[in-house]
Amino acid sequence: MKQIKNLKRGILLFLLALLIVWPFLFQSKYLLHILILIFIWSYVTTVWSYMGRFGLVSLGHGAFFGIGVYTTAILFNLHHVSPWLGMFVGGLVAAAIAVVLGYGCFKFGVIGHYFAIATLVLSEISTLVIIALRDALQTGGRLGLTIRSVGTSPLYLQFDNKMYFYFLALALLLLALFIWKKIDESKAQMALKAVGEDEEAALSLGIDVVKYKTAVFALSAFLTAVGGTVYVQFTMFADPTTCTGVGLSLGIVFKAIIGGMYTLWGPTIGSLLIVILEEYTRLFLGSAYVSYSHIIYGLLIIVLIRFLPKGLHGTVSEIFQGRRKREAKTLLAGRQLAENRD
Amino acid sequence: MLILNSVVNGVLFGGVLALMAFGMNLMFGVVQIVHLAYGQFIMVGLYLVYVLAILYHVPLLLSCAAATAAVALLSILAYYLVVKPLLKAPPINQLLALAGVWMVLENACLALFGATYKGVQVVLPVLHVGELYIAASNLIGFVVGLITLAMLYLFLNKTYTGVAIRAIAQDPEITGIMGVNPRTVYLVTFAVGGALAGITAACFVPVYSVHPHFGGAFTLLAFIIVILGGMGNLLGGFIGAFIIGVVTSVSSTLLNPEIGQIIVLLICLLIIIIRPQGLLGVRGK
Amino acid sequence: MLELNNVTKNFGGLCVLKNVSLRVEQGEFVGLIGPNGSGKTTLFNIISGSLQPDTGSISFLGEKVTGLTPNKICRLGIARTFQIPRPIKSMSVVENVMLGLLFGSRNSAPARREDMKQEALKYLDITGLRVDEWTMPEELTAAALRRLELARALATRPRLLLVDEFMSGLNTSEVFEASQVLKRIWQEMGITIIWIEHVMDSLMNLVERVVVLNYGELIAEGKPSEVSKDRRVIEVYLGEES
Repeated sequence: MKQIKNLKRGILLFLLALLIVWPFLFQSKYLLHILILIFIWSYVTTVWSYMGRFGLVSLGHGAFFGIGVYTTAILFNLHHVSPWLGMFVGGLVAAAIAVVLGYGCFKFGVIGHYFAIATLVLSEISTLVIIALRDALQTGGRLGLTIRSVGTSPLYLQFDNKMYFYFLALALLLLALFIWKKIDESKAQMALKAVGEDEEAALSLGIDVVKYKTAVFALSAFLTAVGGTVYVQFTMFADPTTCTGVGLSLGIVFKAIIGGMYTLWGPTIGSLLIVILEEYTRLFLGSAYVSYSHIIYGLLIIVLIRFLPKGLHGTVSEIFQGRRKREAKTLLAGRQLAENRD
Repeated sequence: MLILNSVVNGVLFGGVLALMAFGMNLMFGVVQIVHLAYGQFIMVGLYLVYVLAILYHVPLLLSCAAATAAVALLSILAYYLVVKPLLKAPPINQLLALAGVWMVLENACLALFGATYKGVQVVLPVLHVGELYIAASNLIGFVVGLITLAMLYLFLNKTYTGVAIRAIAQDPEITGIMGVNPRTVYLVTFAVGGALAGITAACFVPVYSVHPHFGGAFTLLAFIIVILGGMGNLLGGFIGAFIIGVVTSVSSTLLNPEIGQIIVLLICLLIIIIRPQGLLGVRGK
Repeated sequence: MLELNNVTKNFGGLCVLKNVSLRVEQGEFVGLIGPNGSGKTTLFNIISGSLQPDTGSISFLGEKVTGLTPNKICRLGIARTFQIPRPIKSMSVVENVMLGLLFGSRNSAPARREDMKQEALKYLDITGLRVDEWTMPEELTAAALRRLELARALATRPRLLLVDEFMSGLNTSEVFEASQVLKRIWQEMGITIIWIEHVMDSLMNLVERVVVLNYGELIAEGKPSEVSKDRRVIEVYLGEES
């Protein structure tokens, strides 16, 4: 048991060390680009699963991501506000929307697929708002907008060398995983787990259902918007299809489902697989064929929901955990037997 | 006059919308499933009409009929492959699996037809009635919509299967008493729902050129209507369709179309939260 | 301690509770009986805040609690069990009890997980349920699940405990054991109890006062010996049997 744990820790530390020295060892700009994308999407998907793992399936995270993207971009392009501040403002706007929508939904008992639909509507609204503000706030509508370039400027979160984004995105992912752990060890984890399974029973035990759900929704929305900021500073371009809306929301949820939304590493593994799949088809079949990767990915979703609703990583770790638990139990039973005999 | 004109055209367009919403509503009411990929079936129908009529020069009406049948078959296929295995799963899993269907259909169309608009160029006259200008395409949609709904009404009230469908929609536990196998009823529902998507597509042929992203827009439109009328409430959906038809038509005449849609969606959100039984529903059960 | 004033509840035109007024004093042990569908569980749902009464008011310890959410009412000191046990299936039995300790109690729960576990096991022990740390709810029998419900409710350290059926489906010796459990909670822990039960004789032996509901109306209340002689109560129960 302890050996397995140590082994696992060793592998993780090795991987982390490898990721840290990677950009210094390998000069490939393309691989760096892909890794940055993997980090950002893993981050967003992990943050999504803070709530998804408790049965709060949000189809509105595309909207929060878009809020991060566009708040930063507009504040910078029009008012020259640093994206560091824009990141914070975008996060707060996203959190505020989450609090209003979440409080309304949770207070009136909108749960399960009704909550998913309500947040889906939010996603669609976000796309429309961006299009409607094409002139008023120069969002560029469907055509998209470009961030004004100022060369390399840490103050304005712009770097010609992508390596900075590599470390920024990696740090964000580590932060997301750390917060996941913290939530998992907290009282809130038990509350949310109980609420996700049986809201009435949870209420009867004194759990403030509305408070916990709204809080985790706001946290998740805030961090998602932060991800949007980093993404747009990295790509320097935003348009409604890639940066917000229903399609993006579904993309986040699907990554979580594929990897498994109930485990720490599930969302990361899901994002890793999907980004690689997309890049592979784009690289080897040509960008016209990206839709083929999406077909595969859609089919994968259908198959996984049917056969492995806990996702790839979730299922594997469940098998291991089940075995460990059984071993622990037999161990205990054996010990008791021995005690009784004495 | 401008407003009156758009109201009339909105009502006429509402006929098609009613058809579209009816399909989604039926599936929600009977199978208790939120059909997230419903709009994609309509989109597939539009593409089929395009392929048959333009690429293979099949007469337009025949193309429409064939597309309707094909979409109904596709819907049955979706029932067997996706919905049936998940009937006992949590609703959220069903919803997400259907989102997977959405993804597959949308990208299949994207791969086959590319991200450009494909349409059958049907030039239909604009009719003058007094001082009103009425698009013949809307009129055709309205008439077809109403005829189909009338036939559905007869089916649901006069045939045994139809009555069983209605009974299940009202009380899912009733099947045991009626001696009907719910699986059969579900299958019929999906076939009928698919056919409705096909007919809706046929009515849309003169109105829209099709694009792979349209499916999502159709799904949302159907959603909004269904939510407005109360999910699973067939009459509510019918009335909701006309409300949305008029609101969309009038707001796009008066306002920026996106703002009109945003307002509609915000109302929709409020309804989900405060009156999940729909504006026209009765709070029951 | 608890006071209900003219509580009425309708479900879509059907009157489930009609002008129910009831007082329960500190330290009492009250039995709530009545035929199926007489509104007993609805009354519990209203007291615990799961349902709001259409008219009437409820106060607890002199404070008005009508309109409060169930979690607030729980923290004021009213705990309930569900007629059909509702354990959180993905958590172990011990964790289920910890939920009550962590969220339901006015006193703060022990900080260390180990202490909390011991505390949870203590409450499980009171209800006579002996399990280990890894036991999951799905491994329990129906009777044991009822005990888990009770332990979880006790862990919220209530002043008033609403017990919705504790004995159905038990054999004679189990019934005796179960009544000892309730007696201990009442006498040794000093918790006021309202108890719904269909196993009539053990209820009549245990409680101080019986309240009888029929079609949402309070038709009789008093000492068990008096109530069992009440003409209307006999009619209700004979009527049900025939």
